Amino acid sequence: MTEIDVKQRILAANEAAAAEVRARYRGDGTLVINLISSPGSGKTTLLEKTVARLGGRLRLAAIEGDIATERDADRLRAAGIPARQILTGGACHLDARQVQGALADAAFPPLDVLLIENVGNLICPTSYDLGEDLKVALLSVAEGDDKPFKYPAIFSRARVTVITKVDLLPHVEFDIAAVKEQVSVLNPAGRLLATSARSGEGMAEWCGLLEELLAAKRAART
Amino acid sequence: MHEMGIAMSILDSCRAAVAQHGGGRLEEVHVAVGELSALEPELLRFAWDAAIAGGPDAACRLEVEWRPARQRCPACAEEKPRTPGSWLRLCPDCGQPLQIEGGDELDILRVSFVSYDAGGGAGA
Repeated sequence: MTEIDVKQRILAANEAAAAEVRARYRGDGTLVINLISSPGSGKTTLLEKTVARLGGRLRLAAIEGDIATERDADRLRAAGIPARQILTGGACHLDARQVQGALADAAFPPLDVLLIENVGNLICPTSYDLGEDLKVALLSVAEGDDKPFKYPAIFSRARVTVITKVDLLPHVEFDIAAVKEQVSVLNPAGRLLATSARSGEGMAEWCGLLEELLAAKRAART
Repeated sequence: MHEMGIAMSILDSCRAAVAQHGGGRLEEVHVAVGELSALEPELLRFAWDAAIAGGPDAACRLEVEWRPARQRCPACAEEKPRTPGSWLRLCPDCGQPLQIEGGDELDILRVSFVSYDAGGGAGA
């Protein structure tokens, strides 16, 4: 019997594809965001409202990951930006090769921000680099304020955590300070925003953060 | 449940590595899985058995080395003990914020195989 050292990341093939996506958007300074959350936390609605606020100033496009239906891509197209749906057919996450395929099929025009909405799931998408500049985790107030410690992988890796649906706070038990505490333990440099797409609370801050991150990427390029 | 995809990736990578050494039947694969990798070792073993079933490597064992997440104090420049699954915010010794370090491993470490020349069966 022969033993050989392999010393290779299990997801090396995915990471190679992610590196190609990253290289593609490094040159033109496009900010690439990977949005991750449980189903129903409001990813698509946040993006619709983001398009309403930033669509006039920035060139945006979306890649939507779902197990079934073209629904989310239709919503983003209705909001006014080009969008491509990836149907995973049961898989619980997007991988970088699917993103490459979607980019090839979609042939988006030059972009300022590419928004990738992952399949709704707080666990599996965490393992797959899509070539993004940063992961954004969403947590709606209806899900409960104990989630960062229960799902530490995503909340320690997301550079930004967005609490959504804060207009529901009068109706649910959710302690924003507790979430802030957990996120600061897991990810001391992470940013935390509290938003409501419905009322508009926190949306200016969220959109401002996207513009700030885009400017930082452009500045780093020169 | 993305363990099936991970198991297939491990199998593909190991077959490719062994092919570079003349090819053979996989006997044992060692992988490292970190606490922050979002992977469940028991589910991975279950998925592995499904991935290899019916193929030339159906007897291959998967050994999973678990790597706990670690917390380090930058001020003390040392690792601080923690109970698995729990998180400390501040260093118990100096009170400075702790940083998470390590625990996201998802690596193939090594592969044992019997080459086809040595009785590992005809080429796959």
